Amino acid sequence: MKPVQPPRWPLKFLRFFLKPEYLEEIEGDMEEIFLENTTRYSVRKANRMYAWEAIKLLRLSLIKNLAFLNQLKHVGMFRNYFKVSIRGLMKNPLSSFINIIGLSFAIGIFVFAYAFARWTFSTDQFHEHKYEVFLVTFTANRDGAEQLFGRTPRPVGELLKAEFPQIRNMCRVEDRRVIMKHADHVFHERMRFTDPSFLEMFTFPLKWGTATTLTDLNSIILSEPMAQKYFGEENPIGQSLRVIFSKDNSKEFKITGVAKEFPKALTIRFDFLINFENLRTADLDYKYDDWTAFVNATFIQVRQPSDIPLISQAMEKYKALQNEAVKEDWAISSFGFEPLATLHERSEYIRDDISRSSRDNYLSIMFLVGISIFLLALATFNYINIAIVTATRRLKEIGVRKCIGATRNTVTVQFLAENVVITFFALFVGVIFAYTFFIPGFEKLWSFNMDFNLLDPQLWIFLPLLLVMTSVVSGIYPSLYISKFQVVNILKGSVMFGKRNPLTKVLLGFQLVMACIFITTSIMFSQNNKYLSNRSWGYNKADALFAKVPDQAAYEQLSALMGQEPNVLSIAGSRDHVGKSHSTTVVHLPQREYEVDHLAIDANYFATLEIPLKAGRTFNDHEGSDRQAVIVNELLVKNLGWTDPVGQQFRMDSMSYEVIGVVKDFHNYSFSTVVAPTLFTLADKKDFRYVTLKARAGTELDTYRALEANWDKLFPEVPFDGSLQEDVWGIYFEQLGIYKLVWTVFASIAVTLATLGLYGMVRLNIEGRTKEFSIRKVMGAGLQNLTSSVTKPYAILFAITLVIGAPLGFAFGKWIIEFTYPYHMPITVSGVSLAVAIVILALAATVSTQIIKVLKANPVEGLKVE
Amino acid sequence: MKKTKLGEFEELVLLTVAALQQDAYGVEIKRELESRLKDTLSVGSIQSALKRMEDKGFLTSRFGEATQKRGGKRKRIYATTSHGRNVLEEMKNLRAGLWNAIPNLAYELKVLG
Repeated sequence: MKPVQPPRWPLKFLRFFLKPEYLEEIEGDMEEIFLENTTRYSVRKANRMYAWEAIKLLRLSLIKNLAFLNQLKHVGMFRNYFKVSIRGLMKNPLSSFINIIGLSFAIGIFVFAYAFARWTFSTDQFHEHKYEVFLVTFTANRDGAEQLFGRTPRPVGELLKAEFPQIRNMCRVEDRRVIMKHADHVFHERMRFTDPSFLEMFTFPLKWGTATTLTDLNSIILSEPMAQKYFGEENPIGQSLRVIFSKDNSKEFKITGVAKEFPKALTIRFDFLINFENLRTADLDYKYDDWTAFVNATFIQVRQPSDIPLISQAMEKYKALQNEAVKEDWAISSFGFEPLATLHERSEYIRDDISRSSRDNYLSIMFLVGISIFLLALATFNYINIAIVTATRRLKEIGVRKCIGATRNTVTVQFLAENVVITFFALFVGVIFAYTFFIPGFEKLWSFNMDFNLLDPQLWIFLPLLLVMTSVVSGIYPSLYISKFQVVNILKGSVMFGKRNPLTKVLLGFQLVMACIFITTSIMFSQNNKYLSNRSWGYNKADALFAKVPDQAAYEQLSALMGQEPNVLSIAGSRDHVGKSHSTTVVHLPQREYEVDHLAIDANYFATLEIPLKAGRTFNDHEGSDRQAVIVNELLVKNLGWTDPVGQQFRMDSMSYEVIGVVKDFHNYSFSTVVAPTLFTLADKKDFRYVTLKARAGTELDTYRALEANWDKLFPEVPFDGSLQEDVWGIYFEQLGIYKLVWTVFASIAVTLATLGLYGMVRLNIEGRTKEFSIRKVMGAGLQNLTSSVTKPYAILFAITLVIGAPLGFAFGKWIIEFTYPYHMPITVSGVSLAVAIVILALAATVSTQIIKVLKANPVEGLKVE
Repeated sequence: MKKTKLGEFEELVLLTVAALQQDAYGVEIKRELESRLKDTLSVGSIQSALKRMEDKGFLTSRFGEATQKRGGKRKRIYATTSHGRNVLEEMKNLRAGLWNAIPNLAYELKVLG
């Protein structure tokens, strides 16, 4: 048998830090103790003890002098480097400004990306029991694909709690829309029915009141924003709120708790909490043991996360119970459990679940990191270029330093140290940028708060890392390049520094290419926004408006009143409404089953919204005659491959239906949602939930006011819930504006950085050729000659970068537009041509300032230089 | 007295070295002290005490034999120097003197209390 060896890592650790002369003895001692321990304990424990002992050996008298302690004797040198670099910064304000501003922009965006990532990764992590709380999920085959669902059959929660002692707590969650009445104010609100353990399982501490009062059926607990909405800053404990569940069904609740302000990053929140048993009052038909119906969510809290496999095994019998109860269509394949700690990452893939997904945030983080790296690269290139070109000015200094004993390494270290100083300034300014501009700006755009705090300890690990990384990346090449030259050649003056370094041109070219890409993309976004705001929604949205009604009686009353308005051209009633709601139905064809969006409407609906008919007819206005008729959209026809759609028949909910008409595709939801195959049926009058109106063109605002006034007259107890059809997509168009703005900001920064870099390069180039230009002028050179000799070194470079940058910009812009928008403008070269024009303009402007300077300069002064 | 600077723990280690004679190397010192103090000690604490005392001249050391148990590494055997022994003696006398003074002290304290 091979003898047990001490663990390798602690051993390496020991060898690294212990004084070499003590090593043999201590290593031996440690090994002896280790072998003794292996006879007494398990090998794993002995390993652990060995590692722990190794750490405890970290004592001043035993460790070797670390490298940095040795360096202490160089403090004087570093002080000198620091002084020299500050003087250098002061002496060349232009290049210092370009370097520092460029770097700080990029660093500012990096800090912003960091803050955003930190915010996203902290989502839900404040819950004390995040590793023990699980959402009960199930997978089921829908449309031929396994999908994960976040809702649960109603009886499962209670059965699980009764069966498993490992489950400490269980809570069911059901959200219902209710009307909240306080004094004379009424609002639509989202009420959460839940078990009292909700507040034990999720960490939502209360500001006022006690959490256990939720066991009382008459208690209600509010979130802080809701308490403010109804009661302002005062403590509302003991006050009462009337909750109207439906017409003639309401209940008075006493406020017994107000939650503290929620942390900023969370996926599960609430407005109002009441006891789950109140569902009996709210919904007289609600059956707790109905296997065919669902609750919005069921959470369990186990004693140990490792109990989950055991519970999963026992889920088979619940699956059998469930599948017995429901039709074959809705059979489920298995139950599962999602831990709360990672729910926010997984939410994207769970259907119908109550938590918010943070997938978009992860995409944004990647995007932001990408952008910040690019911008940092641009800024770094400026730095490298300017450092190489200005190296000439420091030739003598380097020569002297080398003469009095500096080695190449010393010079390299000196330049890197200077770089750290510059980057430090940039970091300082960058953090200020981020703190005062990028972060608040972004928060304002999206109206949220990411809780950024300058005292965050992780930030202070991140910033020094960024400092070291940036200064090494930007400084390593210039310092190696500058330190390379032989002292003899320098002092003889035979070294031509920096003038012909091909790298400067490559880097400058790269910057211009990047600028091209950024500008093209930003222009394309703005063009696309314009296109989308003019794109047809597939129906007449401008003149339409609608209101939600609680029941048929309300519909009848409201439509009767609105019918008297002179400006109302047409009124329709419906169960669903374009842009607001639809249901999902499975269509049974002989050869396949097909899931489609389903809207139940009345015969006036198409005329009211002006959804164009493509073939067949719309519903007749006769009650009953078109009960078995459906109208479908073009996409459904296309997807099912019907050549002659009118007259096709299929089964739906065990009834047979016939297609009588086809309407053109229209956008049910915003342009960010792909048009779905859709069908319409006639709605039962008792199901009417929406009134839709068409107003005479130009009078929609008056009609809206009339609608609201009529509503308040009819139902003063119920808040009005309606809007112009144009507003139905909510903040969609505002979001488009934000994308455009973000890209414009990035493009402006990129162009600024590139032109700053170019400006610096041209300026330094011209300064270096002062004598040459003076002689040219003395010899009679005019504008033409000077222009060509200033531009000559750059003309070819510009041409090449544009030839590379334009197609790249076009390809990237096209890709990102197609990636972001399912519906976008036809992509043309107009965007990229405009971008190229802007780049050429920026280049011309930059170079011409320098030409003017050369023209104005007095040649005598120029010849006197040196 | 002041120049000797012998800490309490160091004194214990030094005494152990003196007591163990030829066996005085790291692990054995640790074992001996642990059994007397009825407490576990870390290798680091013993070693740093030994090194500090060696620097102060209380101890000398030489390499001993290598054993299989130590993966072929040699032991370092410690021995007290005469200076070390003097200091120990001094400490002992000092303490004995203090012990002798205790009855009076305790009596006076009682009166005060």
